[in-house]
Amino acid sequence: MPREQGRDVEAMRESRPVLVSVNDVSMAYNGAYAVRSASFDLERGRFLTILGPSGSGKTTLLRLIAGFGRATSGEIFINGQPVSAVPPHKRSIGMVFQRLALFPHLTAAENVAFPLKMRRHDATTIAGKVTRFLELVKLGGLGGRRIHELSGGQQQRVAIARALVFEPDLLLLDEPLAALDRKLREDMQLEFRRIQRELGVTTINVTHDQREALVMSDEVIVMDAGKIQQKARPAETYRNPRNAFVANFIGVTGFVEGTATSVSGGLVRMSHGNVELAGIMAGDAAPPRIGQSLVGAIRAEQVRIAADRRQLGGLDTIVTGEIAEAIFEGERIVYEVRVAALGGVILRVFDHDPAEHSQFEPGAHVSLGWNASDVRLYGMD
Amino acid sequence: MNGRKIMSQVFDRRRFLKTAAMAGAATGVYGLNAPRAWAQEPEKPKEIIIRAWGGSWVDSLKAGVSDGFTAKTGIAVRHDLTEDNEIQPKVWAAVDQGRVPPIHINWDTTVNATKSALRGVTEDLSGLSNLASTTDLAKPVGLDGYPIINTYGYVYVLAYRPSAFPDGQPKSWKALLDPKLKGRIALYNDGIGMHFPAQVAGGGKLEDIPGNMQPAWDFITQLKGQSPLLGEDPDFTTWFQKGEIDAACTISTNAREAKKNGIDIAWTVPEEGCKFDTDGLWIPKGLPANELHWAKEYINHALTVEAQQIWLDGLGLPGVVPGVKPPQDLVNDPSYPTKPEDFKNLIRVSAKIQTENQSEWFSKFKAIMQG
Amino acid sequence: MRQTPAAYPLTWRIMDGLEAFVAFAWPARLGAAIPWLMLAPALLLVGLLVIGLVQIGDVSFRTLDPSTYRMSENYTIANYQRAFTESLFATVATRSLLGALIVTVVTLVLAFPYTYLMVRTPNAMLRKLLLTALFLPFFIGQVVRAYGWLIILGNQGMVNEALGLVGVEPLRLLYNYPAVLFGLVQYMLPFAVLMLAPALSAIPEELEAAAESLGANWVRTFTHVVLPLARPGLVGAGLVVLTLSLTDFAMPAILGGGSQDFIANAIYDQFFRTSDQGLGSTLALLLVAAGSLLVGLVIALFGAGTLALSRVRR
Repeated sequence: MPREQGRDVEAMRESRPVLVSVNDVSMAYNGAYAVRSASFDLERGRFLTILGPSGSGKTTLLRLIAGFGRATSGEIFINGQPVSAVPPHKRSIGMVFQRLALFPHLTAAENVAFPLKMRRHDATTIAGKVTRFLELVKLGGLGGRRIHELSGGQQQRVAIARALVFEPDLLLLDEPLAALDRKLREDMQLEFRRIQRELGVTTINVTHDQREALVMSDEVIVMDAGKIQQKARPAETYRNPRNAFVANFIGVTGFVEGTATSVSGGLVRMSHGNVELAGIMAGDAAPPRIGQSLVGAIRAEQVRIAADRRQLGGLDTIVTGEIAEAIFEGERIVYEVRVAALGGVILRVFDHDPAEHSQFEPGAHVSLGWNASDVRLYGMD
Repeated sequence: MNGRKIMSQVFDRRRFLKTAAMAGAATGVYGLNAPRAWAQEPEKPKEIIIRAWGGSWVDSLKAGVSDGFTAKTGIAVRHDLTEDNEIQPKVWAAVDQGRVPPIHINWDTTVNATKSALRGVTEDLSGLSNLASTTDLAKPVGLDGYPIINTYGYVYVLAYRPSAFPDGQPKSWKALLDPKLKGRIALYNDGIGMHFPAQVAGGGKLEDIPGNMQPAWDFITQLKGQSPLLGEDPDFTTWFQKGEIDAACTISTNAREAKKNGIDIAWTVPEEGCKFDTDGLWIPKGLPANELHWAKEYINHALTVEAQQIWLDGLGLPGVVPGVKPPQDLVNDPSYPTKPEDFKNLIRVSAKIQTENQSEWFSKFKAIMQG
Repeated sequence: MRQTPAAYPLTWRIMDGLEAFVAFAWPARLGAAIPWLMLAPALLLVGLLVIGLVQIGDVSFRTLDPSTYRMSENYTIANYQRAFTESLFATVATRSLLGALIVTVVTLVLAFPYTYLMVRTPNAMLRKLLLTALFLPFFIGQVVRAYGWLIILGNQGMVNEALGLVGVEPLRLLYNYPAVLFGLVQYMLPFAVLMLAPALSAIPEELEAAAESLGANWVRTFTHVVLPLARPGLVGAGLVVLTLSLTDFAMPAILGGGSQDFIANAIYDQFFRTSDQGLGSTLALLLVAAGSLLVGLVIALFGAGTLALSRVRR
């Protein structure tokens, strides 16, 4: 490629911030939709995580972007070019597969060299790049090992090096960390993030692990039942879930139901039997009608627990309940509290400092308190 | 020690049975027509087993010999269609191990049967009453007594498809070397039938067999250049019928079979001559005395004019009992010699010489054909 | 507590009964003998085979006396001399070995795409069709199939009739070396597919997707990923096809027109035509030796493939 032309392409890339554009993509198998009308843009250099439970369509969407299978309708653009008709090996995409898909008949270095060999680089170039990328993933010196001679974490590193060594436009991660134990998984999350930042490669990660999504990503897409539920920055997703599904799927959340009684400013008041509750409508939802059924979501960490309501001064909503379960998790205790006045709903509460006072036993009567400003309200349809 | 004792007992028992059978023969049990013998006849087995070749071969045996035997004696006849060369090691093993052999009678080529005779596994059949009325052909050449009785002769003719020979019937075996016939001729896969005419066609003398057969090998090498198909009896019939070949060295029966099926096939005895050979019947050693008796009766029956007439009508071959008439289509046919002058152009080599040299001839033929 | 019948399947009850019976019939202190008991039939079979081989070995050192048609009492290496010096046996051995190699290569080349399609197709109907087409020939013996080819490829067979329609003179398709190899390939194909199928289905599809995403088109995916990973299956299938072809009897006998003998045909001739058990045994032993050598060579070069039995499988 002539120098000028190469610079033009480079300039064009710089001028266009959006690398991947998914435009109204649907994918149906035998009439059942795995992905339904998905649309989003991803800017260059960003780390996007598609989060969702199994069967939500997140992997299908990722595979469509990779080029495995063709969307039933809609189009995917990469660098502004439609890619439906482009086979996977001609898309400049590196992918780390769920079970890594390392080649067992090749060594670690040969695995990393594979995409370069497929691109017909010469031996010297290949050797140089392989060494550089093995060092990048901290595997310098292990290149001669067979895949089965490497630990799980080392195999992850080979897979990421192999997906990046040919400097693709886009990196796809198909739940590669799912099979690791928790400690290793958390280490690798940070490691992936480090490498991604170092290279600045645009990345789409797929996972069902909300922590992974929040820790690693610039942006999070939450999917359920084939539809995109929300696309936002991690903190925004956590603080302002756009619907009850997102609120439930991310974080530890309790739900209280009620009927709207008044709307003043942003604050919506509602009642459940004799209990008065309040909250703020989530996202850009319109104010409710009076009498409309609402559900309020409250994060476990926003709820405080005490033996007596007088210890909950400064909180505007206080209810009483009975301890159903006390779960000791080390750095905290999680209480499950049954609130009879709210129809027997279970609310979860974190107690982060259990040493200060004696732990509540199941059956103990307690008071729970929170602020209305922490409650997000959703209309019930 | 024990082994030897058992062996000697087996031997004793067998000798006893044999002696008893001989005694039976001496008292004239054999003549089916002798009414005074009936009182002494040994117990009849339910059936006797004859090894036979399949197809039209077994059909004619059944019609000519077996059915008549059953009618006369009430003993059923079962035809075992195991290949002749596959039954041979079984019979040999049975006799060696003192077991009762798997068949009562083997219908065999005289050459193959001679091997069994040389090995000493055959019963002597000299005592059969009907032998008295047979021609010389019935007696195996070069063996003592009658370990085998030849039951008919046959000629390895040059069978051909007249349409492939527009100039008339081939006069010489050399006609097979015609380039037009490349890939269109067939021989037996062990070369049997071809060796002796080849000796003449190759410029040699029959008297030199087995001493110098180089002329025969030379001629067979020339035949190899014609890419012949190599097969066994039924193959020739099939190949003629399916249009695979135009000429073959085969027993006339196989050519006649194709002709019966409506294919235009003729055969001739070329000027170099044709091999003449015989088939026969023999009984393996080790049968219980009564079964041996009835097996001999079967062979004796096969030597009657009536049995020969029907059996050999089916095969289209000349028998060993005077008075058997040729089938209409074979009167004066060269493949059905009856008078001494008919034999003038037929080559007969003793079964003994054939068996003694079979392995070597076989190897030579194979070496040429597989090359 | 109330019993849930579904929690205790019938097969467990049957096994309970069998265990009780075994405990009764075979007291625990004899437990150490159980593995040997289970091995007994195999040991017996192998033992008989070894006895047979020893006898064949014995006879191979005796020659036929054509005046009595019995094997000589004394031992001699004459049969081995014949086997190594007579051109017939060199010809037949070369033909068999070369044929077995050609058949193996052609069969593997044909079996591979068939197996791959069968294992990978998402279409259940197609897979069933391929499987049925694979198993059907197993119900038709080798001999019957060979006769089938006689009918199809004969001078007046279907193929030549079709050629006749376009004005081509009948061709001699049968009774030559290619016909024998053709028959063998057709006979071996199902064996090869069956041996290949487990090896190919053991290759995760994800590996092929990975290769594609890394820039390999299907040809390079095949040569760089599928083929190397299928090697155990190819070696296993190759060994089976090689040994079966090398020792085949029926195809050369029926489709060879008598002049395309393989080693097995030569052995048959010695046993059943010339009644020379000595030379027959010699040839049989040499065939065993040549076959073992060939298999050993393949294993040394390529490993034992799927035929390798190891405790640790990856």
